[in-house]
Amino acid sequence: MANRDRLPGTDGKGRYIGRFLIYLTLAVFAIWYLAPLYVVVSTSFKDLAEIRGGALLSLPHEFNVSAWHKAWSQACIGVECTGLKPYFINSISMSVPAVLISTFLGSITGYALTKYRFRGANIIFSLMLFGCFIPFQVVILPMAQTLGMLGIANTVNGLILVHVVYGLGFTTLFFRNYYVSIPDDLVKAATIDGAGFFRIYWRIMLPLSPPIIVVTIIWQFTQIWNDFLFGASFTTGGAQPLTVALNNLINTTTGVKHYNIDMAAALIAAAPTLFVYIVAGRYFVRGLTAGSVKG
Amino acid sequence: MATLTINNAGKKYGSVEVLNDISMELNDGELVVLLGSSGCGKSTLLNMIAGLESISSGDIRIDGEIVNDIHPKNRDIAMVFQSYALYPNMTVAKNISFGLEMRGVEKEKRDELVNSVAKMLQIDHLLNRKPAQLSGGQRQRVAMGRALVRRPKIFLFDEPLSNLDAKLRVEMRHEIKKLHTSLKATMVYVTHDQIEAMTLADRIAILKGGVVQQFATPAEIYSRPANMFVAGFVGSPSMNFLPVTVAQQGNEIGVHLAVQYQGKSENQFVPMRNNDKLSQLLGREVILGIRPEMITQLENAEKDLATLHCDVEVVEPTGADTLCIIKLAGKDSIARVSPIHACAPGESMGFALDISRACLFDPVTEELIS
Ligand SMILES: Nc1ncnc2c1ncn2[C@@H]1O[C@H](COP(=O)(O)OP(=O)(O)OP(=O)(O)O)[C@@H](O)[C@H]1O
Ligand SMILES: [Mg+2]
Repeated sequence: MANRDRLPGTDGKGRYIGRFLIYLTLAVFAIWYLAPLYVVVSTSFKDLAEIRGGALLSLPHEFNVSAWHKAWSQACIGVECTGLKPYFINSISMSVPAVLISTFLGSITGYALTKYRFRGANIIFSLMLFGCFIPFQVVILPMAQTLGMLGIANTVNGLILVHVVYGLGFTTLFFRNYYVSIPDDLVKAATIDGAGFFRIYWRIMLPLSPPIIVVTIIWQFTQIWNDFLFGASFTTGGAQPLTVALNNLINTTTGVKHYNIDMAAALIAAAPTLFVYIVAGRYFVRGLTAGSVKG
Repeated sequence: MATLTINNAGKKYGSVEVLNDISMELNDGELVVLLGSSGCGKSTLLNMIAGLESISSGDIRIDGEIVNDIHPKNRDIAMVFQSYALYPNMTVAKNISFGLEMRGVEKEKRDELVNSVAKMLQIDHLLNRKPAQLSGGQRQRVAMGRALVRRPKIFLFDEPLSNLDAKLRVEMRHEIKKLHTSLKATMVYVTHDQIEAMTLADRIAILKGGVVQQFATPAEIYSRPANMFVAGFVGSPSMNFLPVTVAQQGNEIGVHLAVQYQGKSENQFVPMRNNDKLSQLLGREVILGIRPEMITQLENAEKDLATLHCDVEVVEPTGADTLCIIKLAGKDSIARVSPIHACAPGESMGFALDISRACLFDPVTEELIS
């Protein structure tokens, strides 16, 4: 008799119908979200004739990588027909240093703000936090002036500076919140043991930080790689990052629209962030939920 | 090997005064326990000695030298934290040798020192483990090892045993005592556990609200507590405080004590010796502080003790002794009797009062009178 009193929907037919409905709903939403990706990927492997023939959702007749090839090294961006390659290199040489520098600085400031509660530490932290909420558009004008004065306007180095400065608020926030959960006693013990500010940082704080470093790197890389506004505002021509070049590539039309090249170019632009997520994604969640340090 | 002197040291956080005018002097090789309830400023004082907190007023001297502005690493002290504060990313061996490394001791010498300390603490088989792979007691030993390996002038302990279970705590207490006897090092030990304080200390400093209430040997603190706070804090079960009036009967001076006997309240006169001081208090209300073990069964008691009969309300056997709760001067008081003589609750029995060891306190200032 007791068996009858189970939760509703956990026995008999009702159970299977319930499960079926749940999975059906999930499948519909999955397809809904994946469809655009599918269209982009499949279109990038089609040739123009096939695209013109309609059938947006059909698979490519033959696997054709020429659009990828063109997007990478031949497509015209404005008047230069160099493909995305030089801009891809621009983006790499902008993102990698910007991510590393902002992450490193964030961890140092986070460490100083949590473990060396100097006078005004809270005010400084509040101001940095405030920096996270300043919209991009607000800083464009003063930043352009600053870059001009420093003589690094329209260069990749200029963009690195912009992203480091703008990212510092976020990276500091991440590291501060992580370091708060590391017991102060560790720093006290190391101080008595004779280690100074930087030795404690290198020997104790940094070895405990990998989870939050991964989180910060993913966050910063995604932000910086995908940034369009700063790239479009502070650079022209050869110094532009990939996102701006992609936009220009798609807007540069000479007669026919090469959808396959556009799609391949979009995928090339998205590939590095996808790559970072796939490699480090599982540490991302782990890092976000990592609590206090045991021991 | 060092002396530690604290002169009128104070600590303020903004306008909040956490420590006020602390003075004490530690002889070479002495173990002093800072005892007090949570939040009274024990850790703050210890951190000030270590140099982790600044000193707002007064000074602290090690071997006579003022250390107020000396960096912790140059004070030649070691500290064991309540949380142990082991470096989670380092092995036990690295944890112990970190301080040596920071001081530029060579690798071979370090290994040698680490090994000898590990042997002494019986953790030599754990040297390659990380702290997370250790039990609480083992972590505690590693934390001790980290302090011991440098052979500092002064050891500071901040409630090092409070995270251990009761049995382990007693064991480690013995080991710390042995260690202190063999090292003969100057130690400051913080705890809120009065038994730990009584068993370990050469002298105890009792803190309350950032003020030292008494700084004396355990025996003196127990038998001559400076005030009612100290008297109530030390000893378990704690001292009975009975409001009484000093009176004269014949040519004897003593106190009147109301007792509950066979359902009725009776006033009983208890004579006290060392009458000189008492005669000045005649007619005044005082607080009589009497420890449970000073109220025992009448049987086998010494003849010259005061006696009284009263009803026993509650009986609590603790094993070695049985605690009887009786009404004295209108207060629930605890008497400690031997189990074979204890009566059943609700019955009455005779007690012997060792009043000569009792203390008298001023009811207003709560200070010891005699
Ligand atoms: N940074 C601070 N700012 C203001 N007040 C503080 C600060 N640090 C400690 N205090 C206060 O100082 C008092 C003493 O703190 P302390 O840590 O020394 O207590 P404790 O005796 O060690 O207590 P416990 O037994 O709980 O460890 C507490 O009342 C605490 O609130
Ligand atoms: Mg404390």
